[in-house]
Formats: sequence, C-alpha cells, structure tokens
Amino acid sequence: MTQQWKLFADLAELAGEREVTVDTAPGETVGDALDALLAANPDLETRVRDDDGTLRPEINVLRNGADVASEDGLGTELEADDELALFPPVSGG
Amino acid sequence: MTDLRLSATQLERYSRHVIMDEVGPEGQARLLAGSVLVVGAGGLGSPVVQYLAAAGVGRLGIVDDDVVDRSNLQRQVIHADGDVGRPKVESAREFVDRLNPDVTVEPHELRLSADTIATLPDYDLVVDASDNFATRYLLNDYCALEGIPLVHGAIYRFEGQLTTFENDGDGPCYRCLFPEAPEPGTVPDCATTGVLGVLPGTVGCIQATEAVKLVLETGEPLTGRLLVYDAMDMRFDTVEVRQNPDCPLCGEEPTIESIHDVAYEGRCTLSAD
Repeated sequence: MTQQWKLFADLAELAGEREVTVDTAPGETVGDALDALLAANPDLETRVRDDDGTLRPEINVLRNGADVASEDGLGTELEADDELALFPPVSGG
Repeated sequence: MTDLRLSATQLERYSRHVIMDEVGPEGQARLLAGSVLVVGAGGLGSPVVQYLAAAGVGRLGIVDDDVVDRSNLQRQVIHADGDVGRPKVESAREFVDRLNPDVTVEPHELRLSADTIATLPDYDLVVDASDNFATRYLLNDYCALEGIPLVHGAIYRFEGQLTTFENDGDGPCYRCLFPEAPEPGTVPDCATTGVLGVLPGTVGCIQATEAVKLVLETGEPLTGRLLVYDAMDMRFDTVEVRQNPDCPLCGEEPTIESIHDVAYEGRCTLSAD
C-alpha cells in the first residue's frame, strides 16, 4: 500500500516537496513509513533524527492529525489511507 | 469591579460590539477594563495591537527592544516609513494614540529575560508575537507557572501555527508539543528565508480574536488544538494538542519549577549549574 507524508515548514523545503508518497507493506508501522521517507531524503534525515537515529524531540509525527506519541509511537501500526505528517516548531513573528 | 457605564462617545465608537448579545455593553466594559501584554511589535504584533486597540482593550502592554527597519515595513503595518530607526514600542504607541484614546499603551522597550519579565506589571493575558524560540519558551514557562493565559502564534515563510494555552492548571503547554527548542541554526529565520508579508496579518488577526474572546470569556478558545495555516495551499489543518505526561513543565514529574531553572538560549533546557 502507499502512504502519504505531509511535511511542514523547513521540513518541506529540505525534502523539496510538501507531500511525499512512500510504499509500505501490510503490518508495517509509522516508523517503517518514516524510514522509507528519510531513506529517499538524506537532508531530511539529519534534521529529523539525531546521530543515534533517535527522533529529535521537537519533531512531531502525526497520524490522522494526532501525535503518534498518544498511540504506540513509531510502533503504531499503519492502516490504509492513513495521513501521516511531520511538523517542527517555527519561531518567526 | 467593572464600571459598566459607557460614555456617549464610547457607545458610538463600540456600537457594533454593543449591539451584539455576545458582547453588549457589559462585554465592551470588560474590554475597556481589560489588559493584554503583546510581546513583539513586529509582523504578528502589528495586527494584534491594531485590533486590540480598536476593540478598546483598556491597557495594552507592548514589549519590544528593536527599532523599525525599512525591511520590516512590508508586513509590520503599524510602523511607517518615517518611523525607520525609531523604537518599535514608540511607533506602536503613536499608532494606538491616533486610533483610540480609550487605550493606554504601556511601552516596555526591553528584551524579555527571566529577570526582566518579573519587572512587568500584571496583565490579564499574554499574546506571544515574538520572533525567537528563547522568548517563546520563556513566555510559555512563565505563563504556565503563573497561570496566565497565553495566545501563541508563530510563522515561517507561508505557514503559521496558532494555539491558546489557558494555563488553568490542566495543561497542555508549548513544551507538551515541543519539549525543547530546535538546535540553534536548524530553523532559518525570516531574514534568511523571507516571509509573505500578509501571512503575519492573518495569523496575528486570529491571535487578536483569541485575545478578545478570552477577555470577554466567550466562545471556544483554541485550547488543545494547534491550528496550522498554509497560505500557499490556503488550508487550515487542526492538530490535537494533549497534555504530555512527560512534559518537563506540566507533566507528571516536572523538572522545571521556576523560570530561573532554565537557560533561555540554545535549546531552552534546564541550566547546567
């Protein structure tokens, strides 16, 4: 199946597009979809995860508009037609 | 005790408020007796100051340590060409003085820090119209600890983020969403990336709307919701904001108990010492 990632703010600029489609298999997780997204975007990888591969604390991962932290985090199993999003804080005023 | 009597001039000036059941003379009197601190007199602060002054919010504190630069004028609509080089708080005060004599502006020409924030008088609520993470985290922590409602708005190029923290003891707070600031240098600023001039107008107007509703105690504030505005696609997305049990400020085992615990620079985390 395919999953759509929506990217916000500087993350969209790093990826060069605001929406990215990745292929996933049944039973895979949000973390698997994130791996697929970042594998194709090395600049995004360093912005989203630290040197240890841990998701940076200020990056929010959303599934259908809710933070996956309120589910099983990156281990949350994907369902067909899930909308995934990555968004960082912005500070401009 | 709020004085409910409006003068004849005030009844005329605020007639479009007074005529509505949701505001009425009582609501207008509440606005005139209200006080709001606007932190930042730039892109977001300009429309916030404009509309709160027009609405007759009686006491308007404005914090900014900057002077007007010609490059600000593409979006910072309370400042004019002749104000270039002048303190923004002075330019803002003159704008309000011309607009509405009912409003007293309290200009605070300073950089907010854990020390200077304590020198400010009390306000009913705070609007975060600042342009940097250090100020944003300081305001979040201060308002959450003191129980002061905080209206958050932030922009980036064509996007805005908005939410309201009522800070009535139930959370959430900004750190529930973003526990610490990004590493310095990772998120470029307006000077580097540019910003669509009208973007802070839209976002600031929504912040002003939230502030007016909070003073009136009417409607549903943006509590527990982050509104993400995309000017390019003209979309508003809503992201649920829940209290994070691991939040360092309002979680189950908070590590931040005072703004003096935090170094408001870099990632805005606990001081090393």
